[in-house]
Amino acid sequence: MSEIVVGISDFKVSNNAHDMLVTYALGSCIGVAVYDPVVKVAGLLHFMLPESSLDAKKAGETPAMFADTGIPLLFKSCYKFGADKKRMVVKVAGGASILDDANFFRIGQKNITAMKKLFWKNNVLINGEDTGSNYNRTIYVNVSNGKILVKTAHNGVRELA
Amino acid sequence: MISDEILKSITNIPAFPAAALKVMKLIDDPDFSLTDVVDVVQYDQAIAANILRICNSAYFGLRYKVETVRDAVMRLGQVNVIRAVQAAGVSRFYKNKKGYGLDATKLWEHSVGVALMSQILSRRFYNCDDSRLYTTALLHDIGKVVMGEFVDKSFLKIYDLVTTRGISFLDAEEEVIGINHADLGGKIATQWNFPADMRDAIMYHHRPDLMPNGGSDNAWLVYLADQACIMMGIGLGSDGLAYKGLSEAIVKFKLRQRDFEECIMIMLNDLGRAKELLGIV
Repeated sequence: MSEIVVGISDFKVSNNAHDMLVTYALGSCIGVAVYDPVVKVAGLLHFMLPESSLDAKKAGETPAMFADTGIPLLFKSCYKFGADKKRMVVKVAGGASILDDANFFRIGQKNITAMKKLFWKNNVLINGEDTGSNYNRTIYVNVSNGKILVKTAHNGVRELA
Repeated sequence: MISDEILKSITNIPAFPAAALKVMKLIDDPDFSLTDVVDVVQYDQAIAANILRICNSAYFGLRYKVETVRDAVMRLGQVNVIRAVQAAGVSRFYKNKKGYGLDATKLWEHSVGVALMSQILSRRFYNCDDSRLYTTALLHDIGKVVMGEFVDKSFLKIYDLVTTRGISFLDAEEEVIGINHADLGGKIATQWNFPADMRDAIMYHHRPDLMPNGGSDNAWLVYLADQACIMMGIGLGSDGLAYKGLSEAIVKFKLRQRDFEECIMIMLNDLGRAKELLGIV
């Protein structure tokens, strides 16, 4: 099985059953994993900030940086491989925050909100979620069966159901 | 106590490279000349080799190969020379180290990320780079390099305190091991005879609010830069994001969320271009 690494502000789509998509060290960033079980197409996005209005030029060059440009791009790229929105399973992990009672450093929380708003507006259900809290996550997507694993330092590797 | 063993082990840490220390002193004088820097660094083989390597990297895109330190220094220009010298001086302490679930490359990447971010913040708030701040930021987690293996052994105990009592990883580290990585970093800096302001910024990098007189600006900048890299997952370890968010940092610099996010974007861009600095560990 070959590992395809998705960097920060990046995304990958694959229909090769031998591939494992992986993205490491999600802090406040969020990993969005999608899978169409019929055509066996998987996608993984590692977005970093909530809104592309921060820098329109940057959003043009690196759309995967932001939730509102990255998520649509991830879905559209899966459609090109024959994926159908109605069949797509969506699982998300990340969006952690530092211990901040006053919520001043709220990138993690803002990322979660921006993502959910977008899904809600587009009638997309989240089928599995491990977001928030303050730990570091790594996501694996097995292209052959759509199994999505989340690795953390305290829990080891667990399936995100 | 594990902390006794750790404190004993820091006496084995090699001295801070004399050349890097001398450069630090040189650049304190605003009228320093690059020729003085050349004279100092050309006798430190590791630093000299790394400067040549950085200078000959694709990033600078020179059409001919630079062979002497003098040439390299003139080519790189002031800001880059200082960065290269300090990175080359500090990187040796990371070689073959691991801890917090990370290898040396990731621990180093975090340090470089925080150092770059500290300069972005300094430029935004004060319109200038600050080499002293850069070096401090590069070294803020030096305590982790020594504590790493001990933290890994006691990780579940430490993490349990974080979740059950809601305390920071730093406090939990201290409770389980007897010392935290920031204090240990301060002790290493003392052993290296670092100036007090740099030592304190390392020691208080998670809690600048606990410094006497509200904390130095540089300690707060290292703190902010560190939070940014932690949130973005740059060299993020098993300690995760379990550190205290201090709203004073935002108030102190009148930092808007949008500005902070912009600085983060610039940092990730700079980090992507700093592969040569990253490659020296």
